[in-house]
Amino acid sequence: MKIKYNSEIISGAIFTIVGAALWLLTPSQIRTKETTAITAQTLPRIAIGGLFVFAVCLLLEGIFAREKKELVVTRESFRSEGFKKELRSLLYALFLIVYCFLVKPLGFLIATALLVVAIMVFYGARKWYYYAIPLAMVGIVYVIFHEMLHVSLP
Amino acid sequence: MEQFLGGLQVLAQWQNFAVIPLGLAIGIVVGAIPGLTSDLGLILCIPLTYGMDPTMAILMLLAIYCGGTYGGSITAILINTPGTSANAATLFDGYPMTVKGQAFKALQMALFASTIGGLISAVSLLFLAPPIAKITLLFGPAEYFALSVFGLSVIAGVSNNSIFKGLIGACVGLFMASIGQDSISGTARFIFGQRRLMAGIDLIIALIGLFAISEIMMKSQYNPKTDHKTVSASAITKDKITKDEYRRCWKPIGIGSLIGVIIGATPGTGGGLAAFIAYNQVKQSSKHPETFGKGEIEGVAVSESANNGACGATMIPMLTLGVPGDGSTAILMGAFMLHGMVPGPSLFAEQGNILYAIMLGLIVVNVFMYIIGSVFTRFYAHITRIPYEILAPIVLTFCIAGSYSTNNRVYDIYIILIFGIISYFLRRMDFQLVPILLGIVLGPLMEKNFRRAMVISQGSPSIFFTRPISCAFILIAVVSVVVFGIRSARARKRAQENEAKQA
Repeated sequence: MKIKYNSEIISGAIFTIVGAALWLLTPSQIRTKETTAITAQTLPRIAIGGLFVFAVCLLLEGIFAREKKELVVTRESFRSEGFKKELRSLLYALFLIVYCFLVKPLGFLIATALLVVAIMVFYGARKWYYYAIPLAMVGIVYVIFHEMLHVSLP
Repeated sequence: MEQFLGGLQVLAQWQNFAVIPLGLAIGIVVGAIPGLTSDLGLILCIPLTYGMDPTMAILMLLAIYCGGTYGGSITAILINTPGTSANAATLFDGYPMTVKGQAFKALQMALFASTIGGLISAVSLLFLAPPIAKITLLFGPAEYFALSVFGLSVIAGVSNNSIFKGLIGACVGLFMASIGQDSISGTARFIFGQRRLMAGIDLIIALIGLFAISEIMMKSQYNPKTDHKTVSASAITKDKITKDEYRRCWKPIGIGSLIGVIIGATPGTGGGLAAFIAYNQVKQSSKHPETFGKGEIEGVAVSESANNGACGATMIPMLTLGVPGDGSTAILMGAFMLHGMVPGPSLFAEQGNILYAIMLGLIVVNVFMYIIGSVFTRFYAHITRIPYEILAPIVLTFCIAGSYSTNNRVYDIYIILIFGIISYFLRRMDFQLVPILLGIVLGPLMEKNFRRAMVISQGSPSIFFTRPISCAFILIAVVSVVVFGIRSARARKRAQENEAKQA
């Protein structure tokens, strides 16, 4: 399968959809009782309207005025170095999302220590002190915030 | 003159010179931790000043304020995360300089420019406070709105080769700024049933997510075996600022300091806006605008001189009119009151000696800042030698703890991580994050004053063009966008011609 694309087409399409969705959501998300011409909806409407219009312009620019890359999707593409790199970024994002779910039940110390270890493994760190330094830092940060700044971390 | 000499006498006590370095050290550390602002440093240290005499107490707090504004540049330069929102413009060239192996030079210039900006600001406070305060009194909603439009004109200069992407970024930023409770009508906006979003998205939370987390994500493809560059300790500090670079930077520092003083003296603005506007002006007037954003030392000089230039100037409306210009000066105003001084027109008459001691002390604060900063800059620069696999989790830990401490809620941790992931994908699609930041910073100021101005003019937009200061700001904004457009079109044409010649 052949796909012709550029970043303008992808981002233009995404923001056109986001802009249209937010425009439609505005009346339900901003229930104002103001009767004046300028209300709580005015600036968000300008921002969202602008987002939609500029996204359409970007999409058109991407289709008609910018050079496109050609991507041929085959089974080999899933084994390529580029695809593996993209997977690494997604894995990293996954770590952060999992952390969001863990930080409340496990608390800052344990959840952050787990995240630190996961990142070190991700980068393939082998030396023990590579693990020890950031882990110690988690403890130090906890003490600084908890004891000195009186911020009770979760 | 009598009060001036009296102020010198009050200042010349050894205790005053002892608390200034202490305040600076606290300020620099607090400013350098993403998520902790000088506001937090001020709040935490006010109780320490209860037993001090007023001059000593205010000088220590001023040292924290100035140190915090400078300290934020350290992380902006080294890890692409501004410690405070005032240092956001330092990212443009500070971090690219680090990437080019010029971290020490960037840190040196940040310190130098911060000191000069701070000194000019302190001298302005000393001699120009009353006349500047009179000018800023002329600012009404129309002028503030025009000022924020002027600030948004920076987008043209930071959008690289796609103005539409820059404009989309600004719209995203403006939209994000509108999330939460509307400050005028109290209406909830885009909270999607989440009561926690009623307070809106904190600026520092947005900053950490946009810049720090997305930067960590961008490095997720980093391979320690091939990408880690071993740099010797001597090589880092060897690359010092040359005489020619100092000569080149005098003009940007002058412009930055001047804009810092003017913007800083305008209530409700602050060092962050001053830095953006000054950066844009210097970039546009430069003979080589294409080098800005790619590690241009003049970019670091202008943004740091502007934000520190605003430090002393934010005290002008507070001391002369009793109007605090930003969060930090509001806290400082509280500290003044705690020590028996009520800022306002009568303060100069009632406690002139102490006031002059404080204003003169601000000059001493900046001199000390340069001395302390010079000693520690070498140490900071070595952070770039730490292997990234160690640095990334440490930065992440600070970001998480810092974001939590902003409002003491886990929700802000979610926001930085989600913002970070979204910003990462935007960066991968060649979006610049600065327009988003500009939208977030300027959105509230713009909306509030737009609505107020429209109420005053009974719905007629002519108010923005009939008032001279407002009209001037809008004209300058339009002219600067047009000039930038023409210059970049010429640059593109030249590049195409060069390509054609080479082909």
